[in-house]
Amino acid sequence: MMGSSGLLSATFHEPGHRHLLELVHQRDLDARRHLDSLELTAYDAAGTLRRTAAVDTRRGVVDLAELLGPPARERLLVLLDARYDPAIFPYRPHHYAYLHRRGSPRPPLYYAVNATLGGVPDRIGASRFNHFETYLFLRRGVAPRAALLLGNPSRFATARAEVTIHYDAGRVERTVELPPKSHAEVALPPAEDGGRVGRVELKAPFRLTSYVTGRDAGTGDLVLFDHLFTYFR
Amino acid sequence: MSATDIPRTLDAVLLCYCTDLTLGALREACREGRWPLPGKERTGKLCTGCQGDLAICLRDFGGRDVE
Repeated sequence: MMGSSGLLSATFHEPGHRHLLELVHQRDLDARRHLDSLELTAYDAAGTLRRTAAVDTRRGVVDLAELLGPPARERLLVLLDARYDPAIFPYRPHHYAYLHRRGSPRPPLYYAVNATLGGVPDRIGASRFNHFETYLFLRRGVAPRAALLLGNPSRFATARAEVTIHYDAGRVERTVELPPKSHAEVALPPAEDGGRVGRVELKAPFRLTSYVTGRDAGTGDLVLFDHLFTYFR
Repeated sequence: MSATDIPRTLDAVLLCYCTDLTLGALREACREGRWPLPGKERTGKLCTGCQGDLAICLRDFGGRDVE
């Protein structure tokens, strides 16, 4: 027994969505692994605490919308503080989630929840710059209305994030200041000449919670919800 | 704010999830001039998510980071 380890994962929840969270991504039907504990906290855009909840770790899947209580009118940054036995989860537990706008004819999105704090346990020995991240957009199909969602999970430190939007020709830079627990959406619009967004880069003084989103331009339905990837490997 | 204003009741709060470092352990190590603690040398350098909080705590607790 190596004692308890921690992992703080984070996602965003928006009103009107079903949001089912797999506490542990069980790889086979016989697997019955559980976390020691899971505490949920949720914050509004200004970083004000809106909700806390202790999650029953015996449940394999929980409904975030249900845990968050009365429907919020705004997007919330949801932090999931998991404690686990590293002997049972030798790397780390992963949370995955289904996200679906209620009433939408589109299929749900399945995504890996962003492991923001503790994503690189010391015993693994990995070392890389996790606070320089990027996302490459697919070129096929209709370009969705894209955006970057950023959250700062820190307790005391404000983050100044630099976002660079790359097009076929040229790029645009944005700067976002995020006090602790606050979050923001950065639009990734087409270029002035109509060119598509090819990729987005994020640089911050420390690792943030970051996702790219894509929405159907007509209905606003989510067609993309994915975390960014480490810039340097 | 200063990290020295953080009440002792929060000492069990996990600061670095990668090295399992608590606020209290960092506070005590800095007070006793023992930072970095053995096994905690890579605090703030792995997932890097706590790097901002760590810098504030080290500054206010009087600890020194290592390269």
